[in-house]
Amino acid sequence: MLKTQRLEEQPELAVEAKNLTKRFGKFVAVDHISLEIRRGENFGLLGPNGAGKTTTIRMITGVIKPSEGYVKVFGIDVAKERKKVLKYIGYMPQKFSLYEDLTVEENIRLYGRLQGLTGSLLKDRVKELLERFYLWEFRRRLAGKLSGGMKQRLALATALVHDPTLLILDEPTAGVDPPLRRKFWEHFRELNREGKTILVTTHYMDEAENCDRLALMNRGRIIAEGTPREIKRRALGGDLVEIVFEGNLDPAALPGVKSVMEDSSERYLLVVEDAGRDLPRIVKKAEELGAKILVASPVHVSLEEAFIRFMGESE
Amino acid sequence: MIELEEGIRKGFRIIPIVDKEIRQLVRDPKTILMVLLMPITVTILFGYGYGGKGAGKYPITVVDLDGGDGAFKFIQELRNSKMFQIKAIYKSKGQGFSSVYSGEVYASLIIPETFTEDLMMGRPTRVELYYDASNPSVAQMIMQAVGVVTQQFQEWAAARFGTFAITPMFYTVYGPEIKKIESFIPTLMAMILQMVPTSLISVSICREREKGTFEQFIMTPVSVFDIIFGKLAAYFFATISDAILSLFTAILLFDVKLKGTFLDMIIVSTVFLLNSLSLGLLISVFSRNQLQAYQASIFSFIIFMLFSGVFIPVDVLSSEAKLIASFVPMYYFVTAFRNVSLKGWNYLMVLDQLTVISMFTFAFLALSLRFLRMEVT
Repeated sequence: MLKTQRLEEQPELAVEAKNLTKRFGKFVAVDHISLEIRRGENFGLLGPNGAGKTTTIRMITGVIKPSEGYVKVFGIDVAKERKKVLKYIGYMPQKFSLYEDLTVEENIRLYGRLQGLTGSLLKDRVKELLERFYLWEFRRRLAGKLSGGMKQRLALATALVHDPTLLILDEPTAGVDPPLRRKFWEHFRELNREGKTILVTTHYMDEAENCDRLALMNRGRIIAEGTPREIKRRALGGDLVEIVFEGNLDPAALPGVKSVMEDSSERYLLVVEDAGRDLPRIVKKAEELGAKILVASPVHVSLEEAFIRFMGESE
Repeated sequence: MIELEEGIRKGFRIIPIVDKEIRQLVRDPKTILMVLLMPITVTILFGYGYGGKGAGKYPITVVDLDGGDGAFKFIQELRNSKMFQIKAIYKSKGQGFSSVYSGEVYASLIIPETFTEDLMMGRPTRVELYYDASNPSVAQMIMQAVGVVTQQFQEWAAARFGTFAITPMFYTVYGPEIKKIESFIPTLMAMILQMVPTSLISVSICREREKGTFEQFIMTPVSVFDIIFGKLAAYFFATISDAILSLFTAILLFDVKLKGTFLDMIIVSTVFLLNSLSLGLLISVFSRNQLQAYQASIFSFIIFMLFSGVFIPVDVLSSEAKLIASFVPMYYFVTAFRNVSLKGWNYLMVLDQLTVISMFTFAFLALSLRFLRMEVT
């Protein structure tokens, strides 16, 4: 009991990984990565297929052992005291991993029982999850007979059966059509609001915008880390703004401008240190110099663009 | 938020695992095929192959020493009874005997020289049946049928000639080539209790690895102990019916008369069944996929069959082969089951064999517990 309390009182880090490495023979799947996921945040692990995301996740859940380094979940070393950690983790593997020859309800019930739930507590929890994830009317259907989206909902419901504080989701939206993907992210946000920490991997860059913080992975390494905005900034070296003007003006000489990215006669894409601070200054300066500003606005940079830049750098 | 701590019970998670495994087994058509159909099919094949009721008609030969109308009429009566398939009609006793000795037919019926004459004179007469006693159930059926035919013939003869009595006489002949199905029961049981349970359970863990369900499964606080013993218990419940079914099929369909009590036979079978399942689990722990597991089960099955004394008695094997046989649990089972089922011993009298089998079981389980990795690869 004392130990449990101590865990609950350690709020800052849900996951802490240091020098985490996994080698399969000579192949290095994960190469000395370090991660810190704060309690309550929605943390995204982003990267192309084969970047080492799943291997990282598997080391965090303890289903494979690191070759080097360690992972602590709520301060407990996963490789050493895995059993203690399990009740805090809800895990949804990349591939559908529930029993296809059991029904929807049987799967949730089984996992509830394996997690130690019994009696009315178990019954209520199963019912609650079936209703919450719109599975009630399909509860007697074999899991193998469900559509892709329903399978994912079942997997999520099962991962939540023991009310874990950390939810680890490996590609939860892979193969799910876009409207349903949005629905899933609504679920995640809701869970986040309930105070759960979420670690999610994805290779859909647009989804990653929803995360509080991100780590970009490529070839077993973390090549960038931070909030989506920070990452984009770092990729370009600043914010991107667009200006269109009439008159004679050297955009590179404007205040705060670090570089000119695109130059198509009168339309310019500029990299500035901070769009919020620099844009008004640019407009003011340009008008002082006698140019007429037609458009001056921050430009949305996609994570994809940022990612491609980082990948280019890392190679 | 639900208060989970209250609901969490320490320790055993075997029951939900047993529950899950049984549900999966029941829903798998393979189980029905292997657990229900295979023992019955194998038993029936054995039954027909090694002396059951045959196709309904018993093949016999007739030796007609009389050659008269009475004999002709009697043979006709045998045919009309539809119980017999008369393979040949001989003129000498020697031919009749050799047809039984060679195992070609179950019995030979001899009609004596004076048969027609005796009938006409109203004198008591007889027919002689030489039958193969190594198959008691068949012999009994033939004797009964001959009795019935003789009775009918006597009624006909009495009305016509006033004959006193026609007595069927029975003589036994042991056909060396026909073996009793009883003596095959231990072999049959050994085959069914080894093949089905081992191959069925051998895929149980590696299938979970192959399908990926293992990754989710080990995210719960289940222990190696829970998994091994949960699966063992579930598959035990599913396959114990194997033993019972085979015994019942043999007893009901082929009228097998075993000296051992049903309880003793089930005890010995259970001990061996647990051994087969433990071996299967060990195979499953070490196999990478289902194909490998099946191959390993079949391979071990062949080795076991060869060295268990079901084909050639272990006593006559070379000393190297004897050494191998001493590491084959099936050898101890066949010995124990033979003594219980055929000699009528009780299970306490085969405790030595049961102990050796259980030691193997223990070793298989210990190795499974030791080497089952709670990891994915």
